[in-house]
Amino acid sequence: MASADKLINTDVPEKDVFALHFLQSLSNLKTQNPLNSPAKSIDRVRKIKKAAYVSMARAAGGTSRLWSRALLRRAAKDDNKSVRFSRRKRKVTWKISSKRRKSNNQRAPVVEEAAERLRNLVPGGGGMETSKLMEETAHYIKCLSMQVKVMQCLVDGLSQK
Amino acid sequence: MSNRRSRQSSNASRISDDQMIDLVSKLRQFLPEIHERRRSDKVSASKVLQETCNYIRKLHREVDNLSDRLSQLLDSVDEDGPEAAVIRSLLM
Repeated sequence: MASADKLINTDVPEKDVFALHFLQSLSNLKTQNPLNSPAKSIDRVRKIKKAAYVSMARAAGGTSRLWSRALLRRAAKDDNKSVRFSRRKRKVTWKISSKRRKSNNQRAPVVEEAAERLRNLVPGGGGMETSKLMEETAHYIKCLSMQVKVMQCLVDGLSQK
Repeated sequence: MSNRRSRQSSNASRISDDQMIDLVSKLRQFLPEIHERRRSDKVSASKVLQETCNYIRKLHREVDNLSDRLSQLLDSVDEDGPEAAVIRSLLM
């Protein structure tokens, strides 16, 4: 059982790492879009939201996690850019096709059903086996809640005038 | 940090049920207090997964709301002044 703990690591960086990445994203947004330009408010909101997710993915380790990799890939596709992945020699690939995944499943169908819903929520979940999905989900949840805390702090700070 | 990945065994896709239960209990730790009416030793995996889905959706909604508020607040920010102090305090 102790060996399972060695395999699974769900540590996330400290809050200030997330804060730093997010603030950098925001300041980039500001320089790209000077305040006087007549941008629609919903575009601004969308840009901020995207900056939040991208900076979270970067703070969480960039391309070293499946979910952050999928998130960055999705964001880059929207911008028509390409994401650079660090070349690492990997013995194992975590992603498997969904057809193969279905034949590997030995879990109870009720668990698989819930896992399927989870797959739609976690970035990159579609190619993951259930056990890997759990690990990625744990990390994703930790990072998301950290990001929410950072944004809440920022909002609180800016609201106190 | 990249060494950690290559050390993981190739048997991971055949994680046993014991390890699955261990993973599920780990996942449970990160979720806010679940209303568990049953005995806590019998972890209901599907219930945990369901709660996880709800929690993720809730976090997504919060990100949306906070993005909205940030967009409004950042509009009214002047370049200097107390906001710089706020940013600095966040980084401490």
